[in-house]
Amino acid sequence: MQPTAEQIEQDLLRPLFHSSGKYWVAVAIAASLLLAGVAAFGYQLYAGIGVWGLNSPVFWAFDITNFVFWIGISHAGTLISAILRLTNATWRRPVTRCAEAITVFSVLIGAIIPLCHIGRPWLAYWMIPYPSERHIWPNFRSPLAWDFFAISTYLTGSTTFLYLPTIPDFAAVRDVSTGLRKKIYRVLALGWQGTPRQWQRLEVAMHIMAVVIVPVAVSVHTIVSWDFAMTLVPMWHSSIFGPYFVAGAIFSGIAALILAMALLRKFLHLEQYLRPIHFENLGKLLLTMSLLWFYFTFAERLTAWYGNSPPEMAVFWESIRKHFAPLFWTMVVCNFIIPVPILAIKRLRTITGTAIASATVVVGMWLERFLIVVPALEHKFLPYSWGTYRPTWVEDTLMASSFGMMALLYLLFSKFVPMISIWEMKVGLQSHGGVPMVAPAEGHVVLEGPQ
Amino acid sequence: MAHKWGMVVDLDRCTGCEACVVACHAENNIPTAGEDQAARGRAKHWIRVERYWEGDFPNPRVRFQPVLCQQCDEAPCEPVCPTYASYHTPEGLNSQVYNRCIGTRFCANACPYNVRFFNFYNPAWDKPLQLQLNPDVSVRSVGVMEKCTFCVQRIKAAEIQAEAEKRELKDGEFTTACAQSCPSKALIFGDLNDSASEVARLASSNRGTKLLGELGTKPNVTYLERGTWEDATHG
Amino acid sequence: MERRDFIKISALSGVMATLEGCRSAEKQLIRFIPEEELIPGIATIKPGVCTVCSAGCGLLVRVMQGEAEVVRHGQQGLIKMGLAKKLEGNPQHPVNQGKLCARGQASLQMLYHPDRITHPIKRTGPRGSGEFQAISWDDALKEVSAHLGTLQASGSANSLGFLSRPLSGQQGELMTKFLKAYGAPPPVWYQPFDEAVLRQANLFSFGHAALPTFDLHLADYVICFGADFLGTWNSPVAQSISYGEMRQGRPGRRAKLVQVETRMSQTGANADEWIACRPGMEGVLALGIAHVILAEKLAPQAPGSRPGSLIDGWQAGLPEYAPEAVEKQTGVSVAVIKRLAHELAQSGLAVAMIGGPPLAHTNGLFNALAVNALESLVDKSSILSFTPQTGDAAPVQATLAALHTLSAQPPQMLLLYEANPVFSAPPATRVREALAKIPYIVSFGSFIDETSVQADLILPDHAALESWIDSVAESGSSRAVASLAPPAVLPLHDTRPMPDVLLGLGRQLGGEVAKALPWATYDAMLRAAFVPLRTRPGSIDVKTDDDFWDAAQTQGGWWSSPSTSPPLAAVKRAPLSAASPQFAGAAADFPFYFLPYVSQSFADGSLAHLPWLQELPDVLTSAMWSSWVEINPNTGDRLGIKQGDLVEIASQQGSVRAAAVLSPGIAPDMVAMPVGQGHENFTRFASGRGANPLSILAPLTEQETGSLAWAATRVKLVRAGGPEQAKLVLFAGGMSAFPHEQERR
Repeated sequence: MQPTAEQIEQDLLRPLFHSSGKYWVAVAIAASLLLAGVAAFGYQLYAGIGVWGLNSPVFWAFDITNFVFWIGISHAGTLISAILRLTNATWRRPVTRCAEAITVFSVLIGAIIPLCHIGRPWLAYWMIPYPSERHIWPNFRSPLAWDFFAISTYLTGSTTFLYLPTIPDFAAVRDVSTGLRKKIYRVLALGWQGTPRQWQRLEVAMHIMAVVIVPVAVSVHTIVSWDFAMTLVPMWHSSIFGPYFVAGAIFSGIAALILAMALLRKFLHLEQYLRPIHFENLGKLLLTMSLLWFYFTFAERLTAWYGNSPPEMAVFWESIRKHFAPLFWTMVVCNFIIPVPILAIKRLRTITGTAIASATVVVGMWLERFLIVVPALEHKFLPYSWGTYRPTWVEDTLMASSFGMMALLYLLFSKFVPMISIWEMKVGLQSHGGVPMVAPAEGHVVLEGPQ
Repeated sequence: MAHKWGMVVDLDRCTGCEACVVACHAENNIPTAGEDQAARGRAKHWIRVERYWEGDFPNPRVRFQPVLCQQCDEAPCEPVCPTYASYHTPEGLNSQVYNRCIGTRFCANACPYNVRFFNFYNPAWDKPLQLQLNPDVSVRSVGVMEKCTFCVQRIKAAEIQAEAEKRELKDGEFTTACAQSCPSKALIFGDLNDSASEVARLASSNRGTKLLGELGTKPNVTYLERGTWEDATHG
Repeated sequence: MERRDFIKISALSGVMATLEGCRSAEKQLIRFIPEEELIPGIATIKPGVCTVCSAGCGLLVRVMQGEAEVVRHGQQGLIKMGLAKKLEGNPQHPVNQGKLCARGQASLQMLYHPDRITHPIKRTGPRGSGEFQAISWDDALKEVSAHLGTLQASGSANSLGFLSRPLSGQQGELMTKFLKAYGAPPPVWYQPFDEAVLRQANLFSFGHAALPTFDLHLADYVICFGADFLGTWNSPVAQSISYGEMRQGRPGRRAKLVQVETRMSQTGANADEWIACRPGMEGVLALGIAHVILAEKLAPQAPGSRPGSLIDGWQAGLPEYAPEAVEKQTGVSVAVIKRLAHELAQSGLAVAMIGGPPLAHTNGLFNALAVNALESLVDKSSILSFTPQTGDAAPVQATLAALHTLSAQPPQMLLLYEANPVFSAPPATRVREALAKIPYIVSFGSFIDETSVQADLILPDHAALESWIDSVAESGSSRAVASLAPPAVLPLHDTRPMPDVLLGLGRQLGGEVAKALPWATYDAMLRAAFVPLRTRPGSIDVKTDDDFWDAAQTQGGWWSSPSTSPPLAAVKRAPLSAASPQFAGAAADFPFYFLPYVSQSFADGSLAHLPWLQELPDVLTSAMWSSWVEINPNTGDRLGIKQGDLVEIASQQGSVRAAAVLSPGIAPDMVAMPVGQGHENFTRFASGRGANPLSILAPLTEQETGSLAWAATRVKLVRAGGPEQAKLVLFAGGMSAFPHEQERR
């Protein structure tokens, strides 16, 4: 029994107007994690970054691991949404906004982390290319300067890409609100009336963004990978890092998306909209990425092992059989051994199944980032100055608070914006065959033809 | 011709006495980390004497290797600094401009020699040890990277003096703190562009190698190989 | 004063007072008027003398103007004064020729050490409790004077003791004269690693009771038995300078270094060939080599009174030291013995040296005489020589005997100067108990340590850089060297120079003491001692005594012109035969030989209070701020001890615990531990840190000289805990807190 257009609006707008107690508990928990992080950061500013576990020679660890992790998570959103839009995969409709939201928030978190991890954060603005009183520009040869441009572009782009399709939904909220809420959403809706000309402009804008955001996303994580690959550090200096990181990002991003969707489905009662077929399709994508991840990992390790260069082998063995072996093999289990059977066997590729696989992938991908950063820094070229690393409570707190921040932003987003695009669901009602869609309400023009 | 500062480390002369390490601390206001911080890997020795064991008792062998900033011509630490805090001077030094450093620590990761050290905390000296601090050398604050500068304060002082006296710098007129203290003269510092200088002469020795030279960093420190070794053959 | 001026001044001071009030409380300190003229930003270079070890290297002190917090007349304030910023070697000084070792560089921290005693203090609590309170100089000196006077008046003048670290130069002279005139026994020069055995051996073998000088830069072959001559032994800077030249200072000619040791030292690490020899058998090995040289006539034999004559059997060709027998006793193979003999005899200019652990056995003198004999056999050009002296040599003194006397017959009053036997003497000497029996103890040192904390009164000395210092080089140069330096900086605290305090006490006492010490100030005494050198050919060529004195102060001393070395002549005495080294503890119960060794960072422990040295990574282990026990890796495997584990080593005298370091440079039946940590009470940087290996040494002595045989103790070894308990801090290879398996590379 397909929902009607009115039902769609009702279902998808309900979370904006009604929240359960559980919701507020979740917000409270997320907010406290975030506050703990702010406090920890304050302590770090006061006492010095020595409160972290970094040392000589491990100058990056949890900070950069989390940075790459969150930028990685961001890839699914926009990439899936953009690619699925460009390829006209209609099953994407309930998924796009959840995905795009993940992207924006994780890029935001990823952008904040470097600002917090530098030794003198109050001078972070020196990364901005402005004619400074110091008479120098940022060093454009530095991958960190590239990061700055790439991430700010990506943040701007993905925010735009998130915002554009929400305009008609903001208008929908505006139309059913009163008082202050109406005023706010009127501003957010940018005067949307749903005229054909506006629809056309929206479509063109979204199309442009979809096309543009793909190379931006690919370049962002490639540039992030070049923070490592552009150095001579053994096991960092590898040309595979660009594609490896992008593939890994998409991999972790899809996993995060599946997890987010599973949670939304349960807590916002979106069972009719986020259906098993969506999890199936995303699960298939996740399987593909898992295989791709395995291929890249295997290729990278095999070539290193075969080349047998002593500096590289020192790092190699640390992960494969020495100090980091437990983490490394956990990563392989999480990224490959558990997900592949679950995702390949149709009977297991359920919502629960894909959620479990995604959870392990998120853990595994975090471990992958950590295992790229730390073992290599611990074992560079001169063995006398090899080192070890252990995080402190400050780094643990900051990391936990990044998850808290993500959860909080996402929870708040779900309170102010319909998590599933109302107008796109209505558009989907119009189609024949394929996945059953929901028809648009009266007054909305159908833009998409039969699939 | 412009100066090009370089150093020669003669591994056959180095005895592992570490006079250079303490002299450098005294000259360059390097804060003492203390036991806890040293245990956490934050001791800063701008020059260190690395020691490598080979073999087992009763034929153990040791190699000593003083390692300091190589002042590379193609320094991997320079392109990666977003604020030009690590930059190459016209006289061939890799200069660390403390005021520009925002502490991304990228340079330290990029350096293959692990000769860069970070100020994880604001330095402090138990009074009145701070009276010993060298006024010619900045004290670095928290969040800033530091490393061997080839005693740039001494270079500058000598250049200024020579210019005031309207003459050229003479080889051996001044030297770095480490080279000055080294009893066996294992460290020789000077102008590589001065063909008459001792450092230029020694740098072209056929015993000369570069540390991690295969990486293409083009270090300006030349290591002279140790003399031959014979095993004690116990019957 | 004009009214106008008065208004100006009061207005100005009013403004200043207001401005002062605006600043923080700390900045409201009074500013004292500077006591010297200095231009800010411009360095003055002043001469100095390093007092950290007996080498007596010459210094240049870089002094710059700075602002210090001081107390003057009981008032805290700020003063602009010259501050010592850096020490360098004095290029003109014959011993160190412009170079300076790590410990010399670090000695600068003694001047500005946060735990220096800044004014006289008097004991208030029980002895050793560390409870002191301030006392004025006047009161303190009155009290000491009174005690000295009473002691002398009551006919117990011979019950005054003076325990001091060895002092060469006029400080030692002053103490000696004071005590002699007072009627007391001579000073006891105490240091844990005294060189009594070597001096005695050199007296017998060469006619000089002194540490030897080595012109290694002339050598083609050096065989060294146990001496860490590039590290801490004898005159390390001078030796390192000539070592550098011997390696790469003569194009086409590179000398070979063979080091014979039981544990690889820093010097051993530089050897071309490192030979492991059983402890105490170094003399036998040397004679085994000599046997081959004599038997195969590889070197010309010289007649009669050569040092060989001191060895029983030399004239007969050393029949007891055939290579096969020597191999059994030393562990060094016949092939190696023969090869070394050939190399030594045929390598151009050769020298044999001995020092350190081989002398610290019960048969130490024998080992020394044996190596001296080998040395005279192979050293054709006197690479070994003796530094000419400016005065008479001090008699050889074995300090363990003196400590026993202190224990057995405690004096009524003891003066202490920078000696720390409570820390470094073997427990069997019971120094702490002995001090408890002494009614009155006065210390002149600058720091509280285990011994000075037992004092009743402390009259803190100036730091070396604030004092008139002189020193006569016992070794390290072919010229006679008398170093001299006026104070490089004004005193920071309310301290007084010990020599001047003694002179003042002498004046108070009057009588013989005042007559023996007629100088008003110490520098006057120094002048009187130096001025006679003017007429000797040397580095200062002037016409008047005043000019000489000025020049000596500016140059950092006086040294003689190059001349022929004093001749070497063995004394006639009965030849010595080999004695096996004795060890404390049966091998069954105590399976390991124990070697406490002089530390590269802390020497004999007296430098453990300097933070630069605590943080200096030991060059062989990279350890910082730590104590450790070196164990052979096979021993570690056998006993289940991993790198960084806590181990306990126990002798018959006691036990200590420290972290284990697995080292390939030590025999499987030996353990070694650096000396220097394990202070109970020695400033914030050394107190309560690590373990003191000297505290488990047996009181075995070298049988001829009575010197402590510090390498003669046996121990047992057991694992006592894991790395978290041992807390070994290493610079190389990772954080101590979370060690993981390290590659030995």
